[in-house]
Amino acid sequence: MVRRPCKLIPLLTTPILMFRQPRPPDPDQDLVTRAQQGETRAFDALILKYGDKLYGLVYHMTSHKEDTHDLLQEIFARSYQSLGKFRGNSSFYTWIYQIAVNLTLNFLKKKKRRTSLSLNDLDSPVQQDPALIDNTHEANPERQTNLNELQIKLNEAMRKLSDPHRMVVTMFDIQGMSHGEIAKVLNTSEGTIRSRLHYAHLQLQSALQDSWEERF
Amino acid sequence: MKPTIEQIGNLLALKRDERPEEGYWQDFLCEFHQAQREQAVKKSLVTNWFGRVSAWFSDVGPSKWAYGAGLAYASVAAALLLTPHTAKLENTPSSPVKYELVPAPTPPTVEQLNQLDLSPSTQGNVGEQVF
Repeated sequence: MVRRPCKLIPLLTTPILMFRQPRPPDPDQDLVTRAQQGETRAFDALILKYGDKLYGLVYHMTSHKEDTHDLLQEIFARSYQSLGKFRGNSSFYTWIYQIAVNLTLNFLKKKKRRTSLSLNDLDSPVQQDPALIDNTHEANPERQTNLNELQIKLNEAMRKLSDPHRMVVTMFDIQGMSHGEIAKVLNTSEGTIRSRLHYAHLQLQSALQDSWEERF
Repeated sequence: MKPTIEQIGNLLALKRDERPEEGYWQDFLCEFHQAQREQAVKKSLVTNWFGRVSAWFSDVGPSKWAYGAGLAYASVAAALLLTPHTAKLENTPSSPVKYELVPAPTPPTVEQLNQLDLSPSTQGNVGEQVF
């Protein structure tokens, strides 16, 4: 007896397939598996791969190099210890970003509780910003001075933003992450991200208004 | 004039390429491995200690537990029996307490009603207030 294929199954599964798109494979799967098996070189490779991005995130949140260094050590140590618990429900990139965001926000909370943020404690990122230094060769000196002053104002305005708003601006505008990626990392909706970003941009706009009028 | 959102985005994007100085990650990895080694040593010490304690307890069989408990009970009982718990109270010299009766303060005299002037001239009109 020949069995006839059931035609109901494709009809039922099609809508499910439409909504549940398969997640692309994690590009770090191999390195993560090897690190989980105790291969330290594999974890070193992951540190080198995401180090710069995480450095940018933490540094723009803390504005302090030593704090950034200590926090990065803690972030990678925590992720190394918890690597056994990583089940691959999200990409390694999202997972380690979540650890970085949580530890950074906790650190900032504790720091605010200890002392009110002193401007003397902050580094001046403008002078050490390679992007700005590179631009000096291309742009004219007057324009570059204006740009530097604007960057200083922008840094001040960034520091005045609340931690969650600064985090979203850092991830979107500086790190170039999409709304969806940020929402995944912060475990919120894209709408919340868009709203925070809009509010933060308005704050930055009004903070830069005077200096913008003077220079342009 | 305010800068547009796009202009702000461009200003912020200038920070995108900010990276730590060269050689930073090599030093970072050295420090990271050092910290991991130290933590592993600490962890192994704690694990060893815990292992030894649990091994010692597992070596002690149920009969030895009973002997140990009995011995502990006997020593506590002996300590209680041997301790002189009828400690004599020292005779403290008694000293007389001086006291004297203090007369109660006289209550203030209440003004008698018949001493009050209730003549019509002193009475005001009801409902009228003079300012």
